[in-house]
Amino acid sequence: MSEIKLKIDGKEVIAPEGQTILEVARENGIEIPTMCHEDRISQTTSCFVCIVREGKNGNWMPSCSAIAQDGMEVDASSDAVRDMRRSALDLLLSEHTGDCEAPCTISCPAHARVEEYVRAGRDGDLRKTLEIAKERIPLPLSIGRVCPRFCEKDCRRNALDNEGVAINDFKRISADLYYDEYMEERKDLTGQKVAIIGSGPAGLAAAYFLRLEGVASDIYEKLPETGGMLRYGIPEYRLPKKTLDREIAHFEKMGGIKIFCNKELGKDIEIEELKKEYDAVIVAVGSWSATGMRTEGEELARGGIDWLEELARKNWQGEDPGETIVVGGGNTAMDCVRSALRLTDKPVHCMYRRTEKEMPAEQIEIDEAREEGAQFNFLTQPIKLRRENGKLVLECLRMELGEPDASGRRRPVPIEGSEFEVAADTVIAAIGQKTIAPDGLPTNKWGDVDVEEADCRAEGNVFAAGDCVSGPATVVEAVEGGRRTALGVLAYLKGEKCELPRQINVSRGHWQSLSEDDLVFLFDPEEMGRVPQRLIPLEERTSTFKEVSHTFTEEEIYEEGKRCIECSCTAKNDCRLKDYSEVYGAHPETFGGEKGEPTYNARHPHIILDNGKCVKCGICVKICSEVVNDYLLGFKNRGFKTKVETAFNTTLPENCTECGECVEACPVGALDWKKKKDE
Amino acid sequence: MIKRIKVGMASCGIAAGAGEVLELLKEIAQDKEVVEVGCIGHCYAEPLVEVETDSGNYIFEKVQPKEKDLQKLLELDEFTRFQPHNLRIDKERLLITSLAGKIVPTSLDEYKDHKGYEGLKKALEMKPDEIVEEVKTSKLRGRGGGGFPAGLKWSFLAAKESEQKVLICNADEGDPGAFMDRTLMESLPHQVIEGMLIGAKATGARKLFIYCRAEYPLAVKNLNIAIEQIEKEGLNIIDGEPVDIMVKEGAGAFVCGEETALIHSLEGKRGTPRYRPPYPTDYGFHGYPSAINNVETFANVPFIVREGGAKFAETGTENSTGTKLFALAGDLKYSGLVEVPMGISIGEVVYDIGGAEPGSVKAVQIGGPSGGCIPADHFDTPIDYDSLTSLGAIMGSGGLIVIGNDRCMVETARYFLEFTTRESCGKCTFCRIGTKRMLETLERITGGEGSTEDVELLSDLGNKIIRGSLCGLGQTAPNPVLSTLKYFNNEYLAHVEEGFCSAMECKALVDVFIDQETCIECGQCIKNCPVDCISEDYVVDNEVCTRCNSCIEVCPVDAIARIAKGGEVSVRN
Amino acid sequence: MSKEKVMEKSNLIKVLQTEQKKEGFISDAAIERIAEEFDLPVVEVEGVVSFYTQFKRVPPGKYQIMVCDGTACHIIGSTLILNWITDDLGIKDGETDEEGLFSLESVACLGCCSLAPVISINGKVYGKLDRKKLLKIIADYKKKEAAGA
Repeated sequence: MSEIKLKIDGKEVIAPEGQTILEVARENGIEIPTMCHEDRISQTTSCFVCIVREGKNGNWMPSCSAIAQDGMEVDASSDAVRDMRRSALDLLLSEHTGDCEAPCTISCPAHARVEEYVRAGRDGDLRKTLEIAKERIPLPLSIGRVCPRFCEKDCRRNALDNEGVAINDFKRISADLYYDEYMEERKDLTGQKVAIIGSGPAGLAAAYFLRLEGVASDIYEKLPETGGMLRYGIPEYRLPKKTLDREIAHFEKMGGIKIFCNKELGKDIEIEELKKEYDAVIVAVGSWSATGMRTEGEELARGGIDWLEELARKNWQGEDPGETIVVGGGNTAMDCVRSALRLTDKPVHCMYRRTEKEMPAEQIEIDEAREEGAQFNFLTQPIKLRRENGKLVLECLRMELGEPDASGRRRPVPIEGSEFEVAADTVIAAIGQKTIAPDGLPTNKWGDVDVEEADCRAEGNVFAAGDCVSGPATVVEAVEGGRRTALGVLAYLKGEKCELPRQINVSRGHWQSLSEDDLVFLFDPEEMGRVPQRLIPLEERTSTFKEVSHTFTEEEIYEEGKRCIECSCTAKNDCRLKDYSEVYGAHPETFGGEKGEPTYNARHPHIILDNGKCVKCGICVKICSEVVNDYLLGFKNRGFKTKVETAFNTTLPENCTECGECVEACPVGALDWKKKKDE
Repeated sequence: MIKRIKVGMASCGIAAGAGEVLELLKEIAQDKEVVEVGCIGHCYAEPLVEVETDSGNYIFEKVQPKEKDLQKLLELDEFTRFQPHNLRIDKERLLITSLAGKIVPTSLDEYKDHKGYEGLKKALEMKPDEIVEEVKTSKLRGRGGGGFPAGLKWSFLAAKESEQKVLICNADEGDPGAFMDRTLMESLPHQVIEGMLIGAKATGARKLFIYCRAEYPLAVKNLNIAIEQIEKEGLNIIDGEPVDIMVKEGAGAFVCGEETALIHSLEGKRGTPRYRPPYPTDYGFHGYPSAINNVETFANVPFIVREGGAKFAETGTENSTGTKLFALAGDLKYSGLVEVPMGISIGEVVYDIGGAEPGSVKAVQIGGPSGGCIPADHFDTPIDYDSLTSLGAIMGSGGLIVIGNDRCMVETARYFLEFTTRESCGKCTFCRIGTKRMLETLERITGGEGSTEDVELLSDLGNKIIRGSLCGLGQTAPNPVLSTLKYFNNEYLAHVEEGFCSAMECKALVDVFIDQETCIECGQCIKNCPVDCISEDYVVDNEVCTRCNSCIEVCPVDAIARIAKGGEVSVRN
Repeated sequence: MSKEKVMEKSNLIKVLQTEQKKEGFISDAAIERIAEEFDLPVVEVEGVVSFYTQFKRVPPGKYQIMVCDGTACHIIGSTLILNWITDDLGIKDGETDEEGLFSLESVACLGCCSLAPVISINGKVYGKLDRKKLLKIIADYKKKEAAGA
């Protein structure tokens, strides 16, 4: 056979006559993406992701089918070619249904592989649960207890019985059982060292992720003990400090992380010196300044976070505050209310200017506070505080809800002439907290440290993480902030640009917008409610700071695991559509529009055929008809309604399991094994 | 003395009531011969009856199946005689349709009486390459839309060595609004078959298919009769060997007009196209070398061989020779089938032949769903392959729709996109999903929810669909949108920026209004409203109104009209 | 597959058309039977049937109304025609009424562009329609049916 000469992307190549451009490119190490090409079958030429352009005549052609000709100048990678490929992928994504990742994983601020650790737990491997959780969550003992559980709110199980899977409890039990014995793989120390200011969750997380990559750190803590808000902001009954001690002890065991307490910035240490002494500095000082009530006499009230800190310093053995009014509706307010209830027999009130529905606190906190005896006064706004006859008197106004404000919540407006007064021994203002940024660092309009989005760098070699960047947030968000900053620092230390990998996610949507029919079940879901959380007796909850909830038992957690319907795509680790879309910058939302009719067939015990994911490449049809010689799958309909099915949509034969060629060749998860492979 | 009476019984004639006329004529004309003929192209005047007499032939138009009328006709009454307008006679050039409607389609003898099969006879005495050469000399280009030189295509097939070669007549005329091929097959089936047999001789093909749209039952019937007739007479014997001709009916898929899809369909498969090369002349029907030509292309061949390619090339322009059939319809007076010399201007066809009112026409849509819209100020453009392509339209198979000033161009584009979206085979990503997304975008715009970004998306995605599709359907699907974007961008912008449809066509952008001054309160509109949205004092509730136009249609005094949505109109104080 | 058999397969569409002409539609059983006759996979025959719009998988009404949506008809108002029929008979494009009397379908082009707008009922073409004319034609079919019943 004679040889031809052509150029691909300017590179001169020699090829035997009769090969396609794709074949020639591959043999010469030039990667051209394709969804529908498969060596063993005749051409399908449907996806057009492999499109290239002939430079001389400007013709566009699918490289999988176009035969290479002598003298061709093939453009396989210019911006114009990439743009065409991106559009092809955009179009495929626009009709693609499914969930690349499960909603729990997506909603987790730390993006832990939630579905995977739940599955490991259900399968009886709680050590593996811990391992997976710790890929992103280095504080599983604490977060397993105090997390507001973003994952559970978005859990699709809600669509079936209005109760998400008790996901966080998987973390908690796995950490309770294996935290002390589990030690992650760490790279050898490089000799580089970072100073971290603050030993709260953000600082600890930053230290952790730096250490995994071999970078040592010294953590400087202003307070006498480690943990930041975990120790001084979260009450003992939610997170026992012994548990916290256990958690933090691990960091020093990792080797290379040292924590120095009673080192206050500006007094004992200075940023300018740290900058010189260390390769980089991470500021993780949190958001500790309580916001006042902005009313006359506000100085007579205690700040919520200050009050809790004082309590913590007294090892949760504070004085009886007497009758207490806590102003505010957030989690800190609930912490104050519930702590006060444990210290006094007198009434404890929570005063909030909107209604329960608008309260930012977690519902479970509100419910448990109420069980413990808290009295709620909604639609009430304090306007003046004064001391009278040894008591504090709070003047208030009744409110009603008006039009929604910028946050979407209805704005409370005062009712004229509704003034009234209440008396109390202690008034605690748990309105909110502010960051006090260290001097010399750039700040934004809220007073938080202003950092670069990409690498969390504030200036020079100073980075920042956690609440002091984001404003007051949750522990899990602080942990993610710490990780992101660690990535920024690591890139900086290597002299590289910090770039997060591009990730796309196709989603069926939030469970609230879905009916049971919109969901695709690999297996029929078990009908069972959530395993109830066991709590200590109520009288202990109102008189001691003992941890309120028990960790699930292993039996309970296995049961609870059965409730997971495993939303994520079976093919998420080997999906060509996802991979190429990430490379070429395609996005599921570029084109909106109708998706195909959502049909799927999961009746086969081991194989699922999900038309919503099908890209109509036709590989499976041809593999079955041309390679296996069975012809069990075929195209139906035409145009936008084209789909791949068995005859009359019957179930594939049982023994298809022995072959599985179509499943293995499917470029996406349209035809796949039901059992997921963990990678 | 009446010799014979001919009733135009092509589909258009039948639809206009020719069947009843024929029945009645047979009854009352007694001994006189009444025959069914095809279409003379003047569809606007159907049903047409031609009476052959010793002293010449007389045509009567709009003949009603009433005994009194028919009697008059038999008396050759001058009053209802049909006389095509002179401008049309001047501009038309009947090269291939001269016999249409003049002879009985299923009469082999009559065809022969008019030089029928003389071309074949001559061809049988020629060498194959001499025929190919003759066709090359004629510069005949494919009439199906692509315009590929027919002689060249034949030479490819002729050059192939194979146990079997196949010649296919593409009669899957799927363009909505086109009926050239139908008319040829119904009225002149023998002429098409003669062209194919000449092709068989020229290329060595011995298996011939006519792939005909199933929606053309009369064409199928007449072709089958004609095939039976020539087989009986042995006209299908070439070089001592009988040629097999078979009519295959399509089953409703526009994409089968694409040659590789057509071949798949002929093979009994789903009509999806494949990548070319290999071209059908290398790998066609079941792998045999195959050539595919359009009905009109074949219909041209007998003339070329009979009269010579050079004679043929005298008509038309340098690069577009001969004539072209157009199915003329839309906002004009004389709709029907016309045959004009290549190079005639669009304006001549629209105004002179079609009788459209100058000033009332906004554009023509030429080439159907694959073609484009050409605005009235380009009507001096000559109709030839290259000039039309340069305007963003295509010759296409010959659909030519005149679009009046009161039609919305965005809606027109949406209509064509809806058609191609429905007809996409679903193979290529860009065509399968891309046309759907373009359609949805156009629906947003006509629905009053479009944005300027939508207009940009149409142009970007449209160009990508052209590049990223295997076959002609996808490669041309965006043309109606791109050409209207080019020439009628202002209409798109008016829709998205002002929510205004100047044609008052887009439902979401209009209200229905009753002018109280004109209204005579007859109650017709109220009675006929399907959703009861007109009040007793004659005010339309536009929230409920579905814009079905029922009231506008029934109003005896034209007091009801569509107005711009929310438009202010002075009302009676 | 032998060449002979392959050539035979090209008659598949013809056989399906005959079946449809006979039964008015193509049932699952017919697909299975024809697949066996041609020695083809059932899924392939089903795929062919579903590709072409001519083939119906459910029985059509006794009177099949086709509304031409060719270009000429469309620009002159075929959408209105379709809607008027829907208003009158209560069936949408692609539907058959409960009695199985009328079915309604919008089709690409009936090729009678000069008579636009046109519809056909069981193959008989009615052209140059306005609302009154249309409703009368349908009413006549209804009357005819009532008289016959």
